[in-house]
Amino acid sequence: MTVFKTYFKIVKKYKGMILLYTILLILFSGINLSTNDNNTNFTKEKPNILIINKDENIGITKNLIHYLKKNTNTKEIENKEQKIKDALFYRDINYIIYIKENYRKDILDGKNPKIDIKTTKDYNATLASQILTRYIKVQNIYVKNMQNEQEIIKNINKSLEKQAKIEITSKINTTQIEKMNLYFNFASYSLMAIIIFIICFILTSFKNKNIHKRITISSMNYKKHNRIIRKASLLYVFIVWILFSLLGLILLKDTLLSIRGIIYMVNALVFAFCSLTIAIMISSLTNNKEAVSGIVNVVSLGQAFLCGAFVPTQWLPKNVLTLAHILPTYWYIQTNELLKKLEIINLKEIKPILLNMLILILFSILFIIINNQISKRKQKIE
Amino acid sequence: MENIIEVKNLTKEYKNKLALDNLSFEVKKGEILGLLGPNGSGKSTTINCLLSLLSFKQGNIKILGKEMEPNAYDLKKEIGVVFQEIAVLEELTVYENIDYFCGLYIKEKEKRKQYIEEALDLVGLIEYKKFYPKQLSGGLKRRLNIACGIAHKPKIIFLDEPTVAVDPQSRNNILEGIKKLRKEGATIIYTTHYMEEAEILCDRIIILDKGKILAEGNKDSLKKLADIEEKITVEIKEIKKENLEKIKTFKTVEEVNINKNILTITYKKGKNNLEELMKFLKQNNITYDKVFSERPTLNDVFLNLTGKDLRD
Repeated sequence: MTVFKTYFKIVKKYKGMILLYTILLILFSGINLSTNDNNTNFTKEKPNILIINKDENIGITKNLIHYLKKNTNTKEIENKEQKIKDALFYRDINYIIYIKENYRKDILDGKNPKIDIKTTKDYNATLASQILTRYIKVQNIYVKNMQNEQEIIKNINKSLEKQAKIEITSKINTTQIEKMNLYFNFASYSLMAIIIFIICFILTSFKNKNIHKRITISSMNYKKHNRIIRKASLLYVFIVWILFSLLGLILLKDTLLSIRGIIYMVNALVFAFCSLTIAIMISSLTNNKEAVSGIVNVVSLGQAFLCGAFVPTQWLPKNVLTLAHILPTYWYIQTNELLKKLEIINLKEIKPILLNMLILILFSILFIIINNQISKRKQKIE
Repeated sequence: MENIIEVKNLTKEYKNKLALDNLSFEVKKGEILGLLGPNGSGKSTTINCLLSLLSFKQGNIKILGKEMEPNAYDLKKEIGVVFQEIAVLEELTVYENIDYFCGLYIKEKEKRKQYIEEALDLVGLIEYKKFYPKQLSGGLKRRLNIACGIAHKPKIIFLDEPTVAVDPQSRNNILEGIKKLRKEGATIIYTTHYMEEAEILCDRIIILDKGKILAEGNKDSLKKLADIEEKITVEIKEIKKENLEKIKTFKTVEEVNINKNILTITYKKGKNNLEELMKFLKQNNITYDKVFSERPTLNDVFLNLTGKDLRD
């Protein structure tokens, strides 16, 4: 119990450092959480189109134009090539439909007349294309099976009147999820720094050659002493994780208590234990506290910058992200990003998330193996 | 008297270089045994072998009648060690450090509390118990180092050069503390290259050099190994050459040296050497300021045995 208590007495001496990284996280999260927009509203959008009709405005042709006018914003522009080009260039219109001469006649004759189009190839142009395609498809079905033009028009309109009823059933608050994502992404830096810094400092103290000698000649089995230190380290990591989860709960409230929030926390727990193994590995490299401090800064800050803890991953250069694959933080942040995009949470959907967590566990195993190898080599030298 | 430690034919090699050469000695209950020798003579290696911190090529070590092994935890309970290097945790206060190291031996909190207070008292650190090691001077840190090693009240204490680089006040405090520990019944193995300390503290001294025991005994028996018996130093104003020649003819005089105004006369043996010299100076009207008479030191013994100085 003495060793266990001493471990936490030393942790207490570093409370300033714990506080510093926690405040950093609160400040960062505070900035992000202060924006409070909720974008779950749905609005129907209409593309801007231009219809240039060279056919007679009667029958099927008239019906097509009527349908297009009903479902889009039909603009009136002088039929001059340059003016049309300018309108397209400045996005005054997104789509131009050219209806050729004899369009109506060709349709009724069973031919398949071509409709020329010009497009800005953007989202609104795609929408206009969908509206036109829908009409043509329905029209073709009735033209093939009916002779009477009025019957055809009546059936086309009846079919096209059927509107899909859109109801947003998803209760996902994307703004809150985005905030949770930012919190957990930045937490990777604070979590790793708090764990690595303090565990490395404590372990280097106990591994100091002279302290080690004193423990070895004592009546306590050295292996038992190490076991206690390991247990205390595990408990410390768990306490830090609980602290960060509670902080998340205060900042994000109910959002964290969802299944998604719990998976975020589990991911943070796996990452915290991975950080512990990194700390153990670093402390086996050197007993010099200044060197440890330098290494820890490089490891925690470097990973945070390269893996997207501070900057969203989509803004990072591709080669940086490729390099980041060899760092545990990358897999932690990738899990967070996947979680953010997840619409439905079931076993099938969370498979990639579980795979990322498995990769973090494999990283941990690798760090433990490296630590064991370094320790064995050191023992041989001694 | 009962043997607490028995060492037989202890031999240790470092990369084919002999560090300890067939060492055999005993430590008796309640005594302070001094291991005296220059740096690299094998003192620390001997202690590390005794504590099973180092393996050895051959030999046998028994402590309290039992074979000493790395996992002899029942024996380790009875042993306290103060190493030459300071081994304390910088993040803990004086009190917390002693508590931690004492806690490696003693589980009972109340007993430990009492032992810590006693250790603090012994080394004179009571008023510093809330201080951190970095706030202590070198001497106070050494005292803390000692307190951490002996707080659990061991029967056998190994002190490996505990006074290296310590101020005179702390040194006196440490030496007094060691005497107290012996009074309380501890058996002490004390390594040093300070011959004065060995003379003041130790009941028995083993002189080591190059991993071998050169001589063993109490300080008086060891001093008999020195060629000289007495050395008289006189701060003189002026002395004629003929008077120097006359002094050389004294019966027991071994050597006469004059360096500037310091006259040093070495005597082989004999009593009343000082009286004889004073009489001569008075008769010949030789004026002087100060006169010192010294008995041979352990350094003289070492010098005689090896031809080199202890601190070389």
